[in-house]
Amino acid sequence: MSATVMIVDDSLFMRNILCGILKGQGFQIIAEAASGIEAVKHLHELKPDIIVLDIILPDANGLDLLVSILETNPLTKVVICSAIGQEPVTQKAFDLGATAFICKPITPESVIEVFSGLEG
Amino acid sequence: MDLSPYRDLFLSESQGHIKSSNELIVKLESHSADKSIVDELFRHAHSLKGMAATMQFQPLAALAHAMEDLLSKVRSGELTIESALIDLLLEGNDALSLMISIIESGKDQLSDNPALISRLTEFSPASQSITQATAPPDSAPSAIETPAQTGSQPGVFRHSDSFKNIRIRTEVLDRLVNITGELITTRHQLADQARLFPQKLNEPLNRLTLLLRDLRDEVLQARMLPFTFVSERLPRLVRDLARQQGKEIAFHIEGTEIELDRGILEEIAEPLVHILRNAVDHGMERPAQRVADGKPANGMISICVTRDKDHVNVVISDDGRGMNSGLIIQKAIEKGLISSAQAASLTPQEALMLICAPGFSTAATVTDISGRGVGMDAVRSSLHNLGGNLSIESVPGQGSTFTLRLPITVSIINALLVECGKLVIAFPVNAVDRALELAPKDIQEVDGQRFCALDAISVPLKSLNQLLGQPTAKTRAACIPTIVTRAGGFPIGLVTDRILGQHEIFIKPLGPPLSSMLPLTGGAILGDGRIIFVIDATMLVGKNMGGNYCSPNPHCA
Repeated sequence: MSATVMIVDDSLFMRNILCGILKGQGFQIIAEAASGIEAVKHLHELKPDIIVLDIILPDANGLDLLVSILETNPLTKVVICSAIGQEPVTQKAFDLGATAFICKPITPESVIEVFSGLEG
Repeated sequence: MDLSPYRDLFLSESQGHIKSSNELIVKLESHSADKSIVDELFRHAHSLKGMAATMQFQPLAALAHAMEDLLSKVRSGELTIESALIDLLLEGNDALSLMISIIESGKDQLSDNPALISRLTEFSPASQSITQATAPPDSAPSAIETPAQTGSQPGVFRHSDSFKNIRIRTEVLDRLVNITGELITTRHQLADQARLFPQKLNEPLNRLTLLLRDLRDEVLQARMLPFTFVSERLPRLVRDLARQQGKEIAFHIEGTEIELDRGILEEIAEPLVHILRNAVDHGMERPAQRVADGKPANGMISICVTRDKDHVNVVISDDGRGMNSGLIIQKAIEKGLISSAQAASLTPQEALMLICAPGFSTAATVTDISGRGVGMDAVRSSLHNLGGNLSIESVPGQGSTFTLRLPITVSIINALLVECGKLVIAFPVNAVDRALELAPKDIQEVDGQRFCALDAISVPLKSLNQLLGQPTAKTRAACIPTIVTRAGGFPIGLVTDRILGQHEIFIKPLGPPLSSMLPLTGGAILGDGRIIFVIDATMLVGKNMGGNYCSPNPHCA
C-alpha cells in the first residue's frame, strides 16, 4: 500500500502543486491543512505516514508543530517545506527530528528526490 | 513542469495577499505598537515570494523578497514605524500589485525594478529625511494611539482555505440565479394552467413553490459577499487623499462582515468612493482651521454598516464643516434648479438633497479630487437603480452624515406594477412614495403644468403614457391612478391607466438595443408570459426641475 501524506501549508496554491507532484509519484494524499489547528485535528483522526510541513503558518510555527507531532506520533516522517532555507533553520529542523527538508521554491525534481529517499 | 494549471490559483491567492497587505499597512500607521500586524505583513510577503518563485516569476519574487527584508527589520525593532516607511511599504505593495496584473493580462515578461528594490533594502532612518522632503508639509500621520487596544491577538485563527470551501467563478453563480428566476417564472405559468386540474396538481405545485423558495434563498445566499469586498481599499484612499491635502483624518469602518449581493456591492463601490472623497475634500477642514473652531485637529470619518431586516444601512459620517441648507437653497435658486416658491416648501432634509440635483456643487472651488459636482447626482441614481435610497443629514460646523439604504439582494425585488397603454411597467417599491387615485378636483393647472397637493406640497404631475409614447385614455375617469415617485430628488406624480399592485419579480438585465434606453433598468417576465420593464423615474422624467419635462432621451421620442 502506498504511503499516506498530509500537506500543511496555508497556501492553497502550494498545496495543489505539492499534491500534483506527489500524486504523480503514487502517494496517497489523505489530508490538507491550511493552519496548525487543522493539521493537529487531521493528525489525530487520520495518522498519515508522512507530513509535509511549512514553517510559517497563520497560527503556529511549523517547528513547534514538528515537535508536538513527533511527541504524539514518533514514527511519522515529517518533511519541512519552507522558503526559510538558511543553514541554522535546516539544522534546527533536523535536530528536532525532521526527516527531510525541501527548500521553496519547490521543483518537481527536488520534491521527487526527497520523497524517493523516504521510502524503504 | 507545466505550471499553467496553477496559474489562476496563483493569481487569486497573490491578489489576496496584496489586498490584505494594503489594509494592514494602512492599519499599521495608526496601530504602530501592534506587533501582530507586522508579523502578518511579513507572512504575506513571505508567502508571495515563495509562490512567485515556484511559478518562476523572478522579478516578482525578488521584489517580494525585498519587502520581506524590510519588514523583518521592522519586526526586529531595527526600524521604527513612521510615515516615510508606510509610504515605502505602500509603494512596494503597489509595485507588486502591478506585476501581478501584468501576469494576469497574459504578459509573463516582467521586468526587474532594481531602483525600488534598493530603496526597500537600503531604507534606514537616515534616508527618511530625503523621502519626506517630497511629502507635502503639515502632513504628519495622525498617530491616534490607544495603547490599551493595540495588544496583539495571537489566538486568532484564519481559516482562509479550508477543505470545505471551493472557489467558483461568479459567472456560474449568475447563471444559477438566472435559471432559478426562469424556474420561478415557469412555476407561475404552471400555476395558471393548474387551475384546470386542481385536485391532481395543487399538492405537487405547493411543494414546488416551497422548494423553489429554498432554492432561490440558497442561490442568492451564494452570491453574498461581505462589505469588506468594497471597503478594504477605502482606508488607503482616505489616507492618501488626506495626506495630499495636508489634512489629518482618523478613519474607522464598522460592520464590514455584513453581507450583500455581489451586484449591489459592485454598484455601490463608486458612490462610496465619491462620498468619501467629498468628505475629505470638501467636508473636512484643515487642522489649523479645526483648532481655530475649537475642534480637535484630527478629523474623523467613519463608515458604519448595519443590517435592518431585509435592508442594509451604510452610514458615512464626518465631523467636518457640515452643510448649510440655507446656502444650498440660495444656490439652487441662483442656478435655476428650483423656484423661490418651491424653495419655501422644502424641509431642511429636502434642501440638503438638492446637492444631488444635476449641476449642483457645494464646493467653493473645483478640485481635481472631487470633480465638478456631477457626482452626487450619479450616486443617487445608482442607489435608486438598486432599489435603495440616499438620505443626508448635516449640522453646520459639526459634520455630515450620508445614509445609504440598500436592499440585500438585487435580482429579485418587490415592484409596483402599473398598466400604461399596452405596456406593463414596474417601479421598484423602494422608489415609490405613494400610489393613489386622484379625483379631478385634486388637480390644479398653472401655466400648462398640472399639480396636485400632497401633504401641503404641490407635486407636479406627468402622464406616464405620454412619456412612454403610449396612447392616452380618451375618457377621463373619476379616479385617476397616480404613483408618486421621485425624479432628481423631487416628488413627481406619474398618471397612468391602472395600478396593478405589488409583485415579486425577477429582474433580468436588458440586452442591446434596449439596454441603451436609459429609463429602462431591466426587464422581467410575469407568470402569464407578459414581458414587463423596470423603469427609473429620474431618467424617464428628466432631471431638470425648471419645468422642462420633455423626454430627455432621444431613444424614447
